[in-house]
Amino acid sequence: MNSKPDAASDSTAPGPSTSGLGWEEFSREVVEFFASIKLAMFLFIVLAMTATIGTVIQQGERPETYVQEYGEEAYRWFVRLGFTDVYHTWWFTSLLGLLCVNSLTCFHKRFPGVWRSMRQDKVSVSLAFIQGMKQQATLSLKQSKEAVAEHVVRLLAEKGYRVLAKSDPGEVTVYATKGIMGRVGAHVAHLSATIIVLGGLLGSYYGFQEFGVCLEGQTYHIPRGNFDLRVDKFWIDYHENGSVKSYNSTLTVIDQGTPTATKTITVNDPLVYKGIWFYQSSYGDAWDQIEAARINIKEKNSEKIVSTVDLEWNKEKAVDGLPLKMKMTDFVADFAFNSTEKKVFSKTAEHANPAIRLTVDERSTIQSTPWVFYHYPDLFEIKDSAYQFEFIGYQPKKFTGLQIARNPGIMMVWIGCTMLVVGMTLSSVIYHRRLWAKIVPGHSGVTVHLGGTTHKSQIDFQKEFKKLTEKIQSKI
Amino acid sequence: MRSLFLFDMTFWLYLAALGLYVAYLFAKRPALQLAPAGHPIDHIEERDGAWATQLGQVATLVTVFGWVLNTLALTTRAFERMEHSGTFAPWSNQFEAMAYVSWAIILGYVLLEFRYRIKAVGAFVVGIGFIAMGAASLLPYRYQTAEPLVPALNSYWIYIHVSVTLTSYAAFAMAGGLGLMYLFKERAVNRGSQSRFYAAFPDLETIDELGYKAIMLGFPLLAFGIILGAMWANYAWGGYWSWDPKETWSLIVWLIYGAYIHARMTRGWLGHRAAIYAIFGFLMVIFCFWGVNFLLSGLHAYA
Repeated sequence: MNSKPDAASDSTAPGPSTSGLGWEEFSREVVEFFASIKLAMFLFIVLAMTATIGTVIQQGERPETYVQEYGEEAYRWFVRLGFTDVYHTWWFTSLLGLLCVNSLTCFHKRFPGVWRSMRQDKVSVSLAFIQGMKQQATLSLKQSKEAVAEHVVRLLAEKGYRVLAKSDPGEVTVYATKGIMGRVGAHVAHLSATIIVLGGLLGSYYGFQEFGVCLEGQTYHIPRGNFDLRVDKFWIDYHENGSVKSYNSTLTVIDQGTPTATKTITVNDPLVYKGIWFYQSSYGDAWDQIEAARINIKEKNSEKIVSTVDLEWNKEKAVDGLPLKMKMTDFVADFAFNSTEKKVFSKTAEHANPAIRLTVDERSTIQSTPWVFYHYPDLFEIKDSAYQFEFIGYQPKKFTGLQIARNPGIMMVWIGCTMLVVGMTLSSVIYHRRLWAKIVPGHSGVTVHLGGTTHKSQIDFQKEFKKLTEKIQSKI
Repeated sequence: MRSLFLFDMTFWLYLAALGLYVAYLFAKRPALQLAPAGHPIDHIEERDGAWATQLGQVATLVTVFGWVLNTLALTTRAFERMEHSGTFAPWSNQFEAMAYVSWAIILGYVLLEFRYRIKAVGAFVVGIGFIAMGAASLLPYRYQTAEPLVPALNSYWIYIHVSVTLTSYAAFAMAGGLGLMYLFKERAVNRGSQSRFYAAFPDLETIDELGYKAIMLGFPLLAFGIILGAMWANYAWGGYWSWDPKETWSLIVWLIYGAYIHARMTRGWLGHRAAIYAIFGFLMVIFCFWGVNFLLSGLHAYA
């Protein structure tokens, strides 16, 4: 950020104190270190390098996955170094923190200078200073000192420069500057880093993110918002070629017992209520409920299928022509039995071993509640019953996966992001340039010493400088 | 699909343009050979062989024509998308994204040529545009068609997030091409080479500065693209940042260029070092754009 003339003006600050390692010198050293570009570059590079780790090693997996892929020894190292969750390790967070400290210290150290040069400028400079600049020219003109000075001032002002002139005995010095916003922009961008990180922290401490698996027709309590959410409807739209176009849930918020908001959400179109966002995140087949099941009823003696019935969830049905009443009461997608608790449960969410539980009433005398299996039709047999039941098909019930989140830090993050983009754009589009002209009268006319500097965009500035020089030369 | 034919034509035109630009470099004559002692000729046209100028003009024409076809191809693809799925963004899969990047690179080059009147850059930058187009056409056919979008992508965010990010990639590609050019020229200068090939190259400082300009364009654009992506993610997935490989890699690329920009401003990373760094940065961009899609899994895997 500092070009040479700045460094020159900085040197007017008090030099190193004479008394060894005083507090002042120490604090200056500290500021120097934390504001240094070296540190910034170090952080950029180290952050870039460490960030790659998390893209190569899968993050947040179960230990078995790592052991299987990398071996036990490697996994132990991963845990020690935090490689299984790189972005939340203390050292990665510290690097981010250091980046904030770095940019803030840089702001603290350099912005006052930019601020000063916005308000007051160094008009008087020595001839040697002008001649030492990268862009410089010396012109000889025939006009009077005043006429040339006026022309130069007008020309620069027309070009959008802010012009200051100082008339000393014997010579006139003109100073012109343009594009200071380019520098201000850089500092705005520096501040934004801290704001974004603070917004992120705010979100991770006071926000939450949950995933809800919800079924059509059910009402769920949202404790964080102290209201209820009812899933009225869930459906999937398809493209002509059969691929999924969108999936949608109609949700109703029930606050204090009364429905207050209804919205059909879809991917990219969430529902927001009291600062809590409900996103359509996924869908799938429920593992504890189905829409309908198809059952073959076999007569044990003749081994013949005497009837096929379709049962709806939890609805009793009397079978035509047979002395049977049936009901489907339970479903598990991947049957498993916990022998200590004597409980049936679904091992996974996959439909690996689907089973339903029936309640069968035969002639109002034999009552039974058998589990019947989709893959293993002959597994169980009901004693005393004249029939065998086969579970031959079912229509799965779709669940809608809702992401439920609140992030109080989000506004701050967006403010920081806006500052970042605006600041970066300003600093890359606008470049700060400064020009000095010293008009010294000679024996026939005047000599104009013109010098200019910029901290970047050298070729554009060179062009501009050349044009300016030509204009000063030719017009008069 | 009609657009595929147009993409194909674009490819061949870019190849022709590249050939012409290289031929133009060979046709140029060093100023020193023609200029009588003590009378350097300022006027560029005068010192070239007659057909060098013409070659250069034809090269520019072919490039512009190729770019027009590229534009047409993208527009046609946009209409095809509209018919199929109701969104038109012609950068909705890897193939289209590549075609868009080469469109942006060539546009950038044409603007650069008109502004700075330097044709020699074409041999490098049009080269990269051509390679991007070529790589796109090497993709399997199923990647090239306008399949309907998956629900997550079906949003107006795709218009702005993807195009901004891809444009920044194009800017970095230009910087990479200029970096390469710098190294070529530098080698020639160091050897004191009188080869005619380098006669048309602009001086080292100009190449360096143009490369820096390209990065200064790409750097804020990439930041903007990443932020738009974060806003989209916040809207679609319920979190603005989830350290998904694509997100992380775009951040890595941004950090890499961030280091460069800081180094250049104050530590004087110019010329040789800057050129090598620009090429390195571009390789990282390529990985972020291609490598991540094919090597790493993540939320952007459908691209």
